[in-house]
Amino acid sequence: MALVGLFVLVWWLGALASGPAYYETFSGLMTSIPGYVVLVGLSWAFFTHLMSGLRHFVLDIGAGYELNTNKVWSIASPLIAILLTAGFWALILNK
Amino acid sequence: MAHDTPIKRVRGLGSAHHGAHHWLVQRFTAIGNLVLSIWLIASIIGLPDLSYATVSKWLAQPVSATAMILLVISTFWHARLGLQVLIEDYLHNSGTKFAALAALNLAVIGGCAFAIFSVASLAFGGAA
Repeated sequence: MALVGLFVLVWWLGALASGPAYYETFSGLMTSIPGYVVLVGLSWAFFTHLMSGLRHFVLDIGAGYELNTNKVWSIASPLIAILLTAGFWALILNK
Repeated sequence: MAHDTPIKRVRGLGSAHHGAHHWLVQRFTAIGNLVLSIWLIASIIGLPDLSYATVSKWLAQPVSATAMILLVISTFWHARLGLQVLIEDYLHNSGTKFAALAALNLAVIGGCAFAIFSVASLAFGGAA
């Protein structure tokens, strides 16, 4: 998923560098139904990776290993990621 | 084993036979990714629209172009480190492992160079 995300980022930057005509093609693809499925999926994967990464930063400093704490954050992290994804798209679509 | 220091135990362990530096760089780039992706998300939300005119004008500004190039470097480096570990852990045939690592390097360096060139061409004003 990370590679697909980076590929779409590179595609976006390449489309910008290629000029207005190609950028239209790119944004047409990305705002189609399959395009939105891909973008929402990628943003969800991104926020899940982000939350999991933050959780592991805490574990790396040696904190949060008590069974209950560990369990709470292992469940909360992906849930917060879903909320972040929903919030992100709410802000994007309400432009 | 009782008299070994922790660093001695780390060295030579794991499927790559080294790892502490790799592990640290994975975390340093993660911090870079965190800061820069928050910047990118805030920017995308803050832009009035995502049309060519708006986005290209925004990305051509020195601070945006610099941050985007740093984001590309940090995320591609992080992805390369992560996928290297994946390959080392799951591909056990040395020939296949070598080929996969070579392909990973080509893909990551190629993608990174193209992305940096694209941002630079916008920033320097030449329509590529």
